[in-house]
Amino acid sequence: MHIVDGALSNPVVIGGALFAVAGIARGLRSLELERIPVAGVLSASFFVASLIHVPIGPSSVHLILNGLAGLMLGWAAFPALFVGLLLQAVFFGFGGLTVLGVNTLNIALPAVLAWLLFGRLMARGSPLQGALWAGLGGATAIAGTTVMVALSLALTGDEFLTAAKLILVAHVPIMVIEALLTGFAVLLARKVKPELFDAAKGIRT
Amino acid sequence: MIRALMIAALCALPLPALAHKVIASVFPSGSAIEGEVGFSNGAMAVGQEVQVFGPDGALLGRVLTDDDGFFLFTPTEPVAHRFRADLGAGHVANVTMEAAEVARILGTTPAAPAGDGTPAGDTGPTGAPASAAGFSAAQQAEIAQMLRDELRPLRREIAAYRERNDLQSILGGIGYIVGLFGLGFYLAARRRLKD
Repeated sequence: MHIVDGALSNPVVIGGALFAVAGIARGLRSLELERIPVAGVLSASFFVASLIHVPIGPSSVHLILNGLAGLMLGWAAFPALFVGLLLQAVFFGFGGLTVLGVNTLNIALPAVLAWLLFGRLMARGSPLQGALWAGLGGATAIAGTTVMVALSLALTGDEFLTAAKLILVAHVPIMVIEALLTGFAVLLARKVKPELFDAAKGIRT
Repeated sequence: MIRALMIAALCALPLPALAHKVIASVFPSGSAIEGEVGFSNGAMAVGQEVQVFGPDGALLGRVLTDDDGFFLFTPTEPVAHRFRADLGAGHVANVTMEAAEVARILGTTPAAPAGDGTPAGDTGPTGAPASAAGFSAAQQAEIAQMLRDELRPLRREIAAYRERNDLQSILGGIGYIVGLFGLGFYLAARRRLKD
């Protein structure tokens, strides 16, 4: 899921960085004081989630958990995921510093998209209904990220459809796992900490 | 009940494993450049095409990796060789062998029968030529081959070890996150207090 240094052409890297900066600025503005700890916790979970590997056939894919971050944070997912990605690049060597912008965009934008689509639905109705929507949001975020990664590679010259199919198929199990994880996390949070979702009820601008 | 299930589900998660990172390395191997490509979780790239570029970006050749992710490339020019393998999905490996090292490989090839070759490339300068003098070229090549075979698992283990994420770096990263968001919290709170 993390694109490494040298895999992308310069225009893609620069463009990604610009969009990422815009997203981070947007996220920082919408990050209220009360939600900073939530952002920190989700950033830390994202940071560690990539170390959890799910073996699939000869290879393995790791958890991403961007859907959960997006659903809980909205635009603020951008800075939270950026911090996680930065530290992953520095500590574990995932991705790289030059492609940080592209990776942030690829992972955070689908998360925000999942929030725009499912954020309000998730906060309404019974906790179980909310959890179902959240699960869908979690899967959507992963699917969106695979498409974004394929798109970044396509802009550099790879065949888009083959790359997209390959990455998407490899991540179907992750989508299922993340849907379950996100669903359960939201179910739990809806029960024990319903005030977390107050902000999500009305889409903030 | 659901909470208990949730906790059980979290506990049942697979333990942290190695990261999905591309590792690649090249090293002199007699008259050729040997290299390996794979993922840091131990999966090697099998049948993977590796492109070889010169310093000016010109394609010097292509090779395929074998069942263990190894490839062999015989250089013809003493220039820096850049090896690039695209493993798909944004996983690209880039390794470069410097011109000096390539030149040494090339220099070894014609000089080997004379007995001053150091086929392993980086064995100690003392002793190697003296002891090599007693062997024929074929024997030397055989010994070099044996050495390489012996060293290969070690080399791989070292590469895997280097990629290991220990608890310290994980905790360190979490510490950074806590600190960063704490700082943000402090700044936001100070701004609010001023208002």
